[in-house]
Amino acid sequence: MNASNPYPGDYSAFRETVREFLTAGLTPELARAGERTTSVFSDFEAGRQWQSILHAKGWGAPEWPLEYGGTGWDIQQRYIFLEECRLANAPNPVMMGVQMLGPMLMHFGTEAQKSAYLPGIISGDDVWCQGYSEPGSGSDLASLKTTANRDGDEYVVNGTKIWTSMAHYANWIFCLVRTDKSVKPQAGISFLLIDMATPGITVTPFSSLDGEIEQCQVFFEDARVPVSNLLGEENQGWTVAKYLLEFERGGQHFTIDLKKQLRKLRRLIGSEANAAAEDPTFVYRIAETEIDVLALEQTELRIKGTVAAGEHPGALSSLVKVSGTELGQQCAELLIEAAGQGAMPWQSEVLSPEYEGPTAAPEECVTTMAEYINSRSTTIYGGTAEIQRGIIAKHVLGL
Amino acid sequence: MTEDQTLLHDASDRYLRDSYDFNARRERIALGVYTDPQHWRAFAEMGWLALPVPEILDGLGLGTRECAILAELCGQYLITEPLIDVLAAVSALIAPSPHAERWLGHVVGGELITVAAIDEGAGQRSKKPSTKLTQVDSGWRLTGSKQWINAGPSATHFIVLATVEEGFAWVICPRDAAGVNCEDFPTHDGRGGTNCAFNTEIEENQILLSGEPAQAALDAYRELAMILSSAETLGAANAALDTTVEYTKQRVQFGQPLSSFQALQHRMANMLIQIELTRSLVYAACDAADGDTPDQSRFARAAKVKASSVGRKVSQEAIQLHGGIATTDEYIVGHFFKRITALDSWVCSRGEALKEFMAVSG
Repeated sequence: MNASNPYPGDYSAFRETVREFLTAGLTPELARAGERTTSVFSDFEAGRQWQSILHAKGWGAPEWPLEYGGTGWDIQQRYIFLEECRLANAPNPVMMGVQMLGPMLMHFGTEAQKSAYLPGIISGDDVWCQGYSEPGSGSDLASLKTTANRDGDEYVVNGTKIWTSMAHYANWIFCLVRTDKSVKPQAGISFLLIDMATPGITVTPFSSLDGEIEQCQVFFEDARVPVSNLLGEENQGWTVAKYLLEFERGGQHFTIDLKKQLRKLRRLIGSEANAAAEDPTFVYRIAETEIDVLALEQTELRIKGTVAAGEHPGALSSLVKVSGTELGQQCAELLIEAAGQGAMPWQSEVLSPEYEGPTAAPEECVTTMAEYINSRSTTIYGGTAEIQRGIIAKHVLGL
Repeated sequence: MTEDQTLLHDASDRYLRDSYDFNARRERIALGVYTDPQHWRAFAEMGWLALPVPEILDGLGLGTRECAILAELCGQYLITEPLIDVLAAVSALIAPSPHAERWLGHVVGGELITVAAIDEGAGQRSKKPSTKLTQVDSGWRLTGSKQWINAGPSATHFIVLATVEEGFAWVICPRDAAGVNCEDFPTHDGRGGTNCAFNTEIEENQILLSGEPAQAALDAYRELAMILSSAETLGAANAALDTTVEYTKQRVQFGQPLSSFQALQHRMANMLIQIELTRSLVYAACDAADGDTPDQSRFARAAKVKASSVGRKVSQEAIQLHGGIATTDEYIVGHFFKRITALDSWVCSRGEALKEFMAVSG
């Protein structure tokens, strides 16, 4: 497998087009929201506004096929777009609709479902959240207990979902629910699309360690959902959810953000008399981390090469998820060390894009602690690092 | 890999799998035979030694990537012959010499085995060599001594880094010349080593490079050595992992195969993750070198740092996951561990590479 860029062609004109669009469309407030992002979620309103700007330009869902409003870009163009957005500090729109539900709808949805839901997803008018995990079902997702019992043309849903990011903003939720208890766990799960306004649904948000609210618990008490809201066949929910992993085969791109973190670190230790900069052992650790980021970047390129050649990168994706998230934690740790006590002031309002007042922390450290805190969850969500290692052990090493 | 690279890999792999036997290797090393003449002849016949030689000098004109394919196989099959040593010397020290034609044919034909001699003992590497090339009435004289020349016993000729008035010189010198006193010793990686004292006459055509071109050749040699040692480490680490995976599937304890224990599975997954990350960086370093890109110095050093760390860790883990059997000389895994350790400090250590990486990164 060749490690060099599989797309050596000239993309400079395309990159220029993206930059021009960003210069024109990304207001200082939106860029500020992007810059002050401390987790995978930016300020909600900023993300939503950015999604509608992208949609107006026709770039609302670059990964989707053209017929559903995609861009028709090749893999390299999509990468450049992502890279330029990140470098320009564009905020992240809530991704559960475009990135997660969209591909599943396109593959498993009926025509009626596709035309009912896809337009609202790509425009950002509908905000979707993901109801997978439950208090008793985390890594062992298939043990989930929320039930959906058929009653005429409706399912009656009872149970609770947790770690439901952005549920307090969402007007729709896609859920894995149990429709058959008599078979093995994976075989009795269905995939339901549920209107959050359905009577019987309540949302309880809770604070994360950084004091921000992103996570919620959602309760269902005799919530009645039309049978037509079933995505895929009844009891096929596990297959529907697994398909998303296939769709993500284009690979994830961690290095864009890792390089941003490293640049931030360089700026931080380059400013004034930073104690960490004087410490040769610290400087070596930065260099070692840079080398690890370089290795990951080349691995991401290898995956792109594999996809471009029409092959499946397989468990290389798990490898990238593990290394990308763990390296992100390593960078966050270096940043927190370099910032020292300067990262300790806790001032939530600073994270708001409208905030113009003074900051208790030095300007370059206002997000450092929150980023460090939130980096811990990156190896937990989306399949823990342990689950990913299990996948590698089973599917690559054959253990 | 391109189609040609795949062909090179598959043919080379087939030869080594069929004829490079681990037990024969052990017996040979015990007798102090580090280069099997039959193997070396075969390497030459398969064109391996001509790989990096420009076509204008009757070579194959192939790049770092192709040399790295062989280096990886050297690691996988624990080759004791000085293949990466000769490839690096041929490419960086002999081919650019004005006297290339005098030597090259004999080296790529397999008659001469040329190994670079740089080190003069602990801590000497970054300094000016104390070995000197000086002009005398009859011509030139090489005086001084070189230490710990890895694979030295296999060499017919050393390519000695010496100090001259205008800087450095690379001098090719037969080990059996008058005034060359060599002392061979066994080494832990099964290749043997040599300490060598020189007080010998040198003819003009033995001075391969001198002055500015010699300095450039030193840089090129080191950079190629970093990449090839990283590739060999990669091959050895990968083979150590494969051996470990196979062994843990067979070995039954507590009524089940070791491979069924999650604590061990995750450690093997970590080995794989780190090996694949290293692979990406080693291949990128090859591509950067072959593309002559401004990044090539940086990539070579990054690959060396990564491969050294990962090689060390993976080979240590391989021993631990096997248990007692891996601590015996009859079993192959400990030999990957030893070769990886030797490669770590060969020509350029991990620490040197890291410091240089920082310097070239600015």
